[in-house]
Amino acid sequence: MRRNDHCWSGGVRGRIFAVGPEWGDQLVMALLNRPQTTSSPELSIVAPLYNESQNVRPLVDWILQALEVFPGTFEVILVDDGSRDDTWNEVRAAAADRRVIGLRLGQNVGQTAAMMAGFDHARGGIVVSLDGDLQNDPRDIPALIAKLDEGYDLVCGWRRNRQDKLLLRKVPSWVANRLIRRLTGVPITDNGCSLKAYRRDLLDRIALYAEQHRFIPALSASVGARIAEMPVRHHARRYGESKYGISRTVKVLVDLLTLKMITSFRSRPLVGFALVALPAIAIAGVFGGLFSLTHFGIEKASALVFPGAGLLSVGAALYLFMLGLVAEVALSSERKGSFDTPAAVEVR
Amino acid sequence: MSRPGTLIEPKTVSAEPLIQPGDGLISVVIPVVERADELVNVYRSFAQALDARGQPYEFLLVFDGRITPPAELVMLARQTSRVRILRFAREFGETAALRLGIEKSRGDLILTLPAYFQVRAEGIGALLDTVENGADMAVAHRSPRLDSWLNRMQSRAFHRILKGVSGQQFHDMACGVRAMRRTVAETLPLYGDLHRFIPALAIREGYRVEEVALAQHPSDTRTRIYRPGVYVRRLLDVAAFFFLAKFTEKPLRFFGLVGSAFFGFGALICLILLIQRVEGQGIANRPALLLAVLLVALGVQLIGLGLVGEIIVHLRAPHRRAYRVRERT
Repeated sequence: MRRNDHCWSGGVRGRIFAVGPEWGDQLVMALLNRPQTTSSPELSIVAPLYNESQNVRPLVDWILQALEVFPGTFEVILVDDGSRDDTWNEVRAAAADRRVIGLRLGQNVGQTAAMMAGFDHARGGIVVSLDGDLQNDPRDIPALIAKLDEGYDLVCGWRRNRQDKLLLRKVPSWVANRLIRRLTGVPITDNGCSLKAYRRDLLDRIALYAEQHRFIPALSASVGARIAEMPVRHHARRYGESKYGISRTVKVLVDLLTLKMITSFRSRPLVGFALVALPAIAIAGVFGGLFSLTHFGIEKASALVFPGAGLLSVGAALYLFMLGLVAEVALSSERKGSFDTPAAVEVR
Repeated sequence: MSRPGTLIEPKTVSAEPLIQPGDGLISVVIPVVERADELVNVYRSFAQALDARGQPYEFLLVFDGRITPPAELVMLARQTSRVRILRFAREFGETAALRLGIEKSRGDLILTLPAYFQVRAEGIGALLDTVENGADMAVAHRSPRLDSWLNRMQSRAFHRILKGVSGQQFHDMACGVRAMRRTVAETLPLYGDLHRFIPALAIREGYRVEEVALAQHPSDTRTRIYRPGVYVRRLLDVAAFFFLAKFTEKPLRFFGLVGSAFFGFGALICLILLIQRVEGQGIANRPALLLAVLLVALGVQLIGLGLVGEIIVHLRAPHRRAYRVRERT
């Protein structure tokens, strides 16, 4: 795969637009400028919470304290993801402060959808997400924002000194991060850290679903975002239990295949399917050759193994081509979405 | 989708005051798809029960193509705005009938009833009260049950299977007596045969559903034994519901896991056969070769299908959200 390098390089002089190479220059567009009303805050902090009743109060206090140095206006959006404990009452109590907004979801929908709920309600031009379990440190937020202002659309936290169990959390996460890096070419060390700062324009371009919060950097890069990473602090869990386990690493592997499909072949699925189908046809050719060699050669081999394997490959290849066409049909009926135009920066 | 259905509206302006939406109007939606023999009686007893409550109400009777509306009800529909009759031009089934009824209804609270008696009309107030007291949906649960052990056994088996696959514990999903807020009714994805799963759908959408025990009607005790095809279809319904609930957002989780298991197993057999061939054993007449080839092909196809599913889901993602906000401060 071609690596989209100038996605995260900024600062070229001259009046040109820089776009990811995947779309070509004819798709250049102006920057989205979300109108800001005077009442909406400049910064939104989004924290999803699931059964974190003990953590709500300390989290809010910590965030408010950390943002005392922030010069602009801000809001804190606490999303209660269908908790079964006292979380919602704690959130309501915290929302006595006018800068804090509580959202209660109808049922437990998982971290990605809960984060989307927060993003959809966030009004700030800059949005920061963090975990509700006090493992991220809100004191890192100003630094993230400063980095964002250097000309990035997404700044990811990197838990350099991660305070989690080694075997259950750190090793699987290390492997997953390596795989994501290799597969997508987006050089982010820590995809799993929730502490991230986003520009509003970027959030309007990515719709996260299923369990895609792990893939935010890769998905953002695929719509043309400029991405930076910086080390952040990480603390061991104080209250409550971790909601992760090792069982999800298997699922992450399947999700990686999806990620590859979406990030690389979203706008041309037939190419993705053909990339598998063509080698299959080549293999079929090899088997065909072997068959003719043995069949017409000196040693008469059985007429089953090579032709069988060859026909199987041809069949699989044809099937994949057809699937690619079906995917194109699905795509062509949806083309008008806001999705297809990548982000671009006007370079002066 | 076009909205089939003709509406019989009152021709003469009656003396009763015009009902305005928003003043606690209850819309009673009755899909009539199988039989209409008890319908007039159902209408009378529930109208009486609602009269006793003193809240304004309207009846929407949605007739599937095959069934002719009883003359008495057509007369009523011409005389009063309390009864409205909708009729499909051909058969569309119960789910479509329910949806049309919900679309055309004007009430803030929607009560769905079957066209025959399942519960006694007198108890219906308890169901409506539950919704008025804060639940998003209240579903009737026929209790105590008067019908035969065969009916009860079938029902119990169905609910046990449902609980096994979805984890939701219901007692009487087959009972069509349900009360819900208008917003709930409008957001439910009603298509195919999903009307059977309305409470489960509502829970999946993040709504609060409560079961209310209502006395079973004596005429509901007929022993029900269906053709085997009906049971098969019911099981397929459960399977489809389970699949939709778990994998709508991530089809590759399903197809990919099954597909790679097939593929891996097939590849393993291929490898073993290859080793045996290298050692000099003939493999051309081995059935294992056929099996291996089949498994590999199936695996590739399943993973490919899952990927197409993922693309479709991804394309829809900007328009859909998995969450529903219940409250905000």
